[in-house]
Amino acid sequence: MNEHPVTLHVMDDLRRSRLTVFFRYLLYIPHGIWLELWGIAVLVVALLNWLVALVIGRPAAPFQRFTAAYLRYWTTVYAYLMLVANPFPGFTGEPGSYPVELVVPTTPEKQNRLKTFFRMFLLLPTAVVLYVVLIPAMLICYPLLSFAWWAAMITGRMPRGFRDLGANAIRYTAQVEAYALLITGRYPCSSPYAGMSFEAPVAAEAPAAPSKA
Amino acid sequence: MTKSSRRLLGLLIFGALASGWIWAARALWQTSVPANLKLPHVDMSAFVSSSELHRAQHFSFVLDLFGLAGLFLPLVVLALYAKWGHRFMGESAAGPIGTGMLLAMLGLAILWMAMLPSNLGELWWLRHYGIEKTGYAEMVIGTWSALGAEFLGICLTILIVMGFARLLGNYWWLAGAPVFVGIALLVTFVQPYMSGLQPLENHSALVQAEKRLAKTEGVGNIPLKVENVGTQTTAPNAEAMGLGPSRRIGIWSTMLDGRFSERELEFVIAHELGHHKHKDLWKGIGWYALFAFPIAFLIAQLTRRRGGMAMPLAVPLFLFAWVGLSTVTLPIDNAFSRRIEAAADWEALQATRDPQAGKALFVSFVRTTNEDPNPPAWDPILFGNHPTAAQRIAMVEAWQKRYGG
Repeated sequence: MNEHPVTLHVMDDLRRSRLTVFFRYLLYIPHGIWLELWGIAVLVVALLNWLVALVIGRPAAPFQRFTAAYLRYWTTVYAYLMLVANPFPGFTGEPGSYPVELVVPTTPEKQNRLKTFFRMFLLLPTAVVLYVVLIPAMLICYPLLSFAWWAAMITGRMPRGFRDLGANAIRYTAQVEAYALLITGRYPCSSPYAGMSFEAPVAAEAPAAPSKA
Repeated sequence: MTKSSRRLLGLLIFGALASGWIWAARALWQTSVPANLKLPHVDMSAFVSSSELHRAQHFSFVLDLFGLAGLFLPLVVLALYAKWGHRFMGESAAGPIGTGMLLAMLGLAILWMAMLPSNLGELWWLRHYGIEKTGYAEMVIGTWSALGAEFLGICLTILIVMGFARLLGNYWWLAGAPVFVGIALLVTFVQPYMSGLQPLENHSALVQAEKRLAKTEGVGNIPLKVENVGTQTTAPNAEAMGLGPSRRIGIWSTMLDGRFSERELEFVIAHELGHHKHKDLWKGIGWYALFAFPIAFLIAQLTRRRGGMAMPLAVPLFLFAWVGLSTVTLPIDNAFSRRIEAAADWEALQATRDPQAGKALFVSFVRTTNEDPNPPAWDPILFGNHPTAAQRIAMVEAWQKRYGG
């Protein structure tokens, strides 16, 4: 069942750089700060968008694009932090830039006004699932305290099970956020592997050597 | 405009800038210490026992070895990183600036790992002499966490440098250097609020003395605060902090544990007030600004061979050039610092008119820090941001010769 409009595409090859894994939590810091700042703007936009959706029956297109970009960025940052992916993510949430990518609808869809009005209350059951799914996933995947961190440090590869568990936690949280931010009217799907797609990794381009000139 | 007239114009601009630079450097170099002051030779064996002297020399010699490692190892590590650091570009899916940030952070991370054995050795030595109390694990975790703050700082630096380089090309330094000076100004201003300074309780006599000395030195109301460092070190220290309304004097709790007399503490406070009187923190920013422009210019020239600072490929070389040029200018920075510290000592003598307290304080410093009062000539050039204990005592004696007491 892959019908949820918010889906996670994983094109990761499981290879991990020991150096960046060792310092992963510190390397996350600039992204963490940018995510917080962007998140503040998203909160304001979400409130405005909620009012717009109540009035016109669908979110405003610019707000949708803005929150969708934030959500894509959020996904890459958490994929990096939780060792679900290897490369350092960009800061813009640009589509097609990361091996773990959230596909989010950027065109607003019509949404039921009653469901929009009660959106925060409707989200309460997802909080239970978040605690059940996400916290154990984080305990396993967070650097330093996690098995996955040690496994990646020793073998230079992320065990597939840990990677998929982390990816699922990210996918579900992203669907919850997408629902909360009115990106979609579809309720988050707690079934594992729903809204997930695992694809062959895209070969990375070799970095250019410094010029001698 | 012909080629030769353009060259002439360039030379004229360079000449004017160089003259302005020299004029500003001379102005900052001036201090209130009388230019004709002759420091007498001081025989330290008159103040400390030969065993204390030997202990201080032995301690300082080994500490200098760690200091040399701390100075030159980063150059070696960053030189290697400048050559091979570009290989980590494959670890990034970010754009040019994000990739530049990653390369800069990884450079610092590798440096942290390379420096760890030397830093642990230095800690062992300081613990052996009872100067440091920090545990080894605590130090590793502490420096690892501090690396997070360094990462933030370097990311901001890269954002400024690469951001301007993408806008202005190789002229980024013209806009970048003033921004860095502005950041230095901001950091100096907010430092007192970030240092965990506490009100000075149970030392009302000292607080009164500080008010009296502040009046004598004509610096207005500057709060005296304490910094609790007793769980980490036994080393004594105090510092003048802040600018304008944020001006403070921070005295380490280790100075208030009974090893220093009230008169010695008053001398320390008078010294720190002297820094505020001479506007030494402003001078420090001015000195930083003097070097920020030429260093940024040289980095811009050096990184051109890697495509300029708009390209992440140039970031490893940028790190090496930055640290290398900072190391090259270290002796002159230290000389500048020693001059303003000497002027603050002179101010303390003028304000307290208590040379005996000054002398006793500097002797106490030798006993409590184990620093060699008469180190080899190269030592102050590389590490001396204060005059040596012997030079400070010599200044007290020169003051006594001039004013009595």
